[in-house]
Amino acid sequence: MAGYGYLAGLISSLVPGSSMTFNIRDGYLEALARGFKGSLLTQNDYHNLMQCEKLDDMKLHLASTDYADFLQDAPYPLETSVIIEKCTERMAMEFKHVRNTSVEPLTTFLDYMQYSYMIDNTILLISGTMHNRPCDELLEKCHPLGMFEGMASLTVNTTVEDRYQWLMVDTPLAPYFKKCISEEKDLSELHIEIIRNTLYKTYLEDFYRHCKYMGNSTEEVMCEILKFEADRRAVTITINSFNTELTPDDRPALFCNFGNLVPHGLQLLAKATDDSNVRAALEFDNTWRKIYDNSGDGRDGSKTLEDLFFEEEVKLCKMAFEQQFHYGIFYAYFKLKEQEIRNIEWIAECIAQGKKDQIQRKFIPIF
Amino acid sequence: MAQARYAVFATRMALTIYKGKLKGAIKGHSLLKRKADALKIKFRKVLKDLMENKMALGGTMRDANFSLSTAKYSAGDFSESLKESVESASVRVRIQEENVAGVRLPVFKQQSEDIGSSMQLLGLGKGGQAIQKTRQSFLSALEVLVHLASLQTTFVAVDEALKVTNRRVNALEHVVKPKLENTVSYIVTELDEREREEFFRLKKIQEKKAKAIEAAEAQKNAESLVEAQLRLTGQFTNEASEEGASMSMGGDNDLLY
Repeated sequence: MAGYGYLAGLISSLVPGSSMTFNIRDGYLEALARGFKGSLLTQNDYHNLMQCEKLDDMKLHLASTDYADFLQDAPYPLETSVIIEKCTERMAMEFKHVRNTSVEPLTTFLDYMQYSYMIDNTILLISGTMHNRPCDELLEKCHPLGMFEGMASLTVNTTVEDRYQWLMVDTPLAPYFKKCISEEKDLSELHIEIIRNTLYKTYLEDFYRHCKYMGNSTEEVMCEILKFEADRRAVTITINSFNTELTPDDRPALFCNFGNLVPHGLQLLAKATDDSNVRAALEFDNTWRKIYDNSGDGRDGSKTLEDLFFEEEVKLCKMAFEQQFHYGIFYAYFKLKEQEIRNIEWIAECIAQGKKDQIQRKFIPIF
Repeated sequence: MAQARYAVFATRMALTIYKGKLKGAIKGHSLLKRKADALKIKFRKVLKDLMENKMALGGTMRDANFSLSTAKYSAGDFSESLKESVESASVRVRIQEENVAGVRLPVFKQQSEDIGSSMQLLGLGKGGQAIQKTRQSFLSALEVLVHLASLQTTFVAVDEALKVTNRRVNALEHVVKPKLENTVSYIVTELDEREREEFFRLKKIQEKKAKAIEAAEAQKNAESLVEAQLRLTGQFTNEASEEGASMSMGGDNDLLY
């Protein structure tokens, strides 16, 4: 009896992500990630930033955080876009460092994280090439975390068939594209946004499957976060597609097959035609009902649905740090970093446009 | 310079002609004055509208930019996808004409069509609502801009027309009318003088004739006295009485009336 228990314990510990063997390969990186987490801006920092009158004061305050060296050589006068660019650069640098020093299976996990940015970049390149924009302009606009080899060749391929060939074979997103085109629809017929959302849905489902495979704490933490993401996308797509050419028949194709709202909620969402239907669809899930009820339309200090989504995401990411020995903290850390950059951008824009009283509306404190 | 007059022969014909011109100038002056007043009213109205709209524009543009930042917060940087999704202009501006006191003024009317399908699906995954809100606020900013442009062109056109009309009014009032009046008064004075001269001439002639008659009478009396004396003395001449008779009776060739 005891032997079986021991054997089971030993076997489960050999599965990637188990607590016993985690530190052998990924201990250094987990420590690094927790160190990065410590360097996220605190309430104090945000308070200081909110007191700034001009963007140059912000630069001064940011100099005392980890962003110091990146803002040193920013041209004067400072603009919000420059600040954001530099912050994103820094985040990309951190990510690259983590990825370069990682081993399997963390490397695959980190690759999965990069796919979402790659999807955005690819869509950007496709639509840009269709409208004949110069290649270097497009590559500049790509997100640094979503760069992959062979990107530039998309802008060179001119014929439609070559482009499909490249998309379906040479990119890391190849399997997702295959799924997207499998219904015999021509790529050029599909609207670019629909392509983007279909790709994203396929990617999320794949990621979810991978996390499930990883097991243990990674599965616990990541699946929670991914379920929220899937539900959030379903609700957002539904609300945004009222009165557009995306009919309720096409909608289910963009919904993921996992999440807290599956299956009843998703069915109702697919048929929804206005806000009351959405409310009825969210009736089944406590969290979602609360979120929807708390949302307003953004005026008079109420938070919009999107703001509440961001808040919920931040909450889930923070909870990821409570546990150890799982890959979720990497995902959580980079999502929190993104939110921090969004916060900084929001504060900078409010200061630059003289609307400092509005800062509190969208700002989400992380720690 | 204002005291000049037209160089003209002082005839009665010229008088009627210039009187007619003067009447025309007075009528034209009052009509133009009314046109200038109407233009002035329109000018002031446009000015007031322009002021209000310009003040409002600042706020509207700021709001629009702020909603853009809000959308960027939710949806990330969607500028590229936005640029790609533009197909054809959904807002167009038509020029119509308005007629104010005879001045043709351009007015811009905004025509908007439904946005293309590509724009509707922007931000489908996240931030779509914020993007649509941004679109609304920029649309209203655009409306204000079009209205402002219309007002500005109207302002310039009315200003130009007002200047021209005022110039004409002033010219009529200070140059043409006095000139015409001077001319008319000159003709009238000339005619009067001529009449007076005529009168005087005739009077003088009459006097002379009267004197001549008197002289003749006196001579005749003197002669008859002499004749009487002569008769008394027995000498009688017929010639003197014949001359006297032909003088007092019959028409005087010099008198016309």
